[in-house]
Amino acid sequence: MSTQRLPRRQSATRTVLILGALAFIAFFLVLPLVAVFAEALGKGFAAYGAALVDPDAVSAIKLTLLVAAISVPLNLIFGICAAWAVAKFDFRGKSVLVTLIDLPFSISPVVAGLVYVLLFGAQGWFGPWLVEHGVRIIFAVPGIVLATILVTFPFVARELIPLMQEQGRVDEEAALALGASGFKTFLRVTLPNIRWGLLYGVLLCNARAMGEFGAVSVVSGHLRGLTNTMPLQVEILYNEYNFAAAFAVASLLALLALVTLVLKTSLEWKFGYSHGSAR
Amino acid sequence: MISLHNISKSFSGFAALNAIDLTVRDGEFLALLGPSGSGKTTLLRIIAGLAFPDEGHVRFNGEDVTDLPVAERKVGFVFQQYALFRHMSVLDNVGFGLSVRPRAQRPAKAKVRARARELLDLVQLDGLGDRYPAQLSGGQQQRVALARALAVEPQLLLLDEPFGALDAKVRKELRRWLRQLHEQMGLTSIFVTHDQEEALELADRVVVLDKGVIEQIGTPEEVYMTPQSGFVSGFVGDCNSLPVTVQGNRAQFDGVSFDVAPPRLLDGPARLDFRPHDIAVSPTGDGLPLLVSGVYRRGGYWRVEGSVAGSDRIVEIDLDADHAPPAIGSRLAFTVTRARVFPATEPA
Repeated sequence: MSTQRLPRRQSATRTVLILGALAFIAFFLVLPLVAVFAEALGKGFAAYGAALVDPDAVSAIKLTLLVAAISVPLNLIFGICAAWAVAKFDFRGKSVLVTLIDLPFSISPVVAGLVYVLLFGAQGWFGPWLVEHGVRIIFAVPGIVLATILVTFPFVARELIPLMQEQGRVDEEAALALGASGFKTFLRVTLPNIRWGLLYGVLLCNARAMGEFGAVSVVSGHLRGLTNTMPLQVEILYNEYNFAAAFAVASLLALLALVTLVLKTSLEWKFGYSHGSAR
Repeated sequence: MISLHNISKSFSGFAALNAIDLTVRDGEFLALLGPSGSGKTTLLRIIAGLAFPDEGHVRFNGEDVTDLPVAERKVGFVFQQYALFRHMSVLDNVGFGLSVRPRAQRPAKAKVRARARELLDLVQLDGLGDRYPAQLSGGQQQRVALARALAVEPQLLLLDEPFGALDAKVRKELRRWLRQLHEQMGLTSIFVTHDQEEALELADRVVVLDKGVIEQIGTPEEVYMTPQSGFVSGFVGDCNSLPVTVQGNRAQFDGVSFDVAPPRLLDGPARLDFRPHDIAVSPTGDGLPLLVSGVYRRGGYWRVEGSVAGSDRIVEIDLDADHAPPAIGSRLAFTVTRARVFPATEPA
């Protein structure tokens, strides 16, 4: 950043701060990341490849992609609706809505999972009815999807609310005054105005949807080849002392994180978009 | 013809507009003039259909449009900060109104572009169609906003503080140009401003608003020369106020008496207003004594500032710049050639 000359004492402070931050990042972020790939490839590329084509691993990868493919679009729609409502309209209970949107960030994912067990589990409120009608939610894919949606739903909304609040509604008013319908106004004015923030929110939402452990772990039941997502598969393999396979699957998750990070950074760099939301 | 009947609107208990009646004639250029918070922008938004009155009716050519949303009123609206679509080129901005029409009424793409180019020519921005709004100056953005509003061929053009964000020179040019455009296109235009000079220069008629109420409607000449209320007198044009006592058809200030033009007020305390140019220096020393505290040039005359001797009242008067300016600290006497009295209010 700034390379301007500073008085000697300030320059010493600067050096200490920068080195401190770098050391911290190296120890807590870079080292584990390197360790993941080192361990994954520890027994050679053949073992790495074999671990990834193992039927249980393939099933976990598929399930993770499926869960993300359902929960991210739903949260995208929900996020836009919520942000639209909060930013462009005044209504009673608005601050309550904003607080509620933040709830999944402040609640432990395990609790989020337990809530669904309480509602839909065999002993839960709707359990008997569900059993009667042959619907399985807990220890099945629907439960995993529900838990993931709950845990990831703030990401898009939180990203969009400050952005849309800052932009106000004058662009939409201009479009309406020119005779555009509400839907065309959204498609041609609102959406382009928020597209980078939206993409950013979706990236974060997706990363979390694929990486979520706690809530999913509670509702999944850990049925191999059926209800294991990638993070759960990693845990199982690890508990079986199958380190190379565990780290091989983990390396895919780490790779996803890296790709997300690169995309996000290049978005920020290319469009000068700075995200204003707290997290 | 646009007519407003008994329009009232309040925002969480605060009355923004109170029983407004107004008729706008076809082809008229009308200014809504008032300080901030006077309700002028709310009134404009109600005419546009961007806001809706709590009470009253809006009629366009006799048809009640009170509940019609903006998209169905076919008005052109120019926003204060222009609200150009920043992700679209200038040409796409101008063509937007045509390109969002329902399929059956939508012109072909090439036609929309051709029409947008015509409009850019009209607002003297030919050749800038491929730029983006952020690459234009404030005055250019303003003209793009105008071209965009005109693309849908509105009968009524509404402008919210159209020159507010521009520097003085550009503002003056654009004003003249807008007036020409209004005539040329046979539009009915209503614009909101807090700048009395702008309203007086541009409008056929001026509506002066204060605290949600119409204080006066009239030509610029009427509003300036015969203000109907103390507010209008003080808000439109420079104005000096002196506390006086009215008795019959005379008003007294510190032993100096003034003729009072009708309508007469009841005897008692009142406020006497006069313009800086409605005075004459009295060679005999009769009239109001002034202790000069400041002099500066304003075009062809001196603006002289001073306190009326015997009081702490500061007044401004204009003296012909053909003569040398009075020295600061000197005294002179002047008589008021044209004054109006209004009921006494809080000291102005």
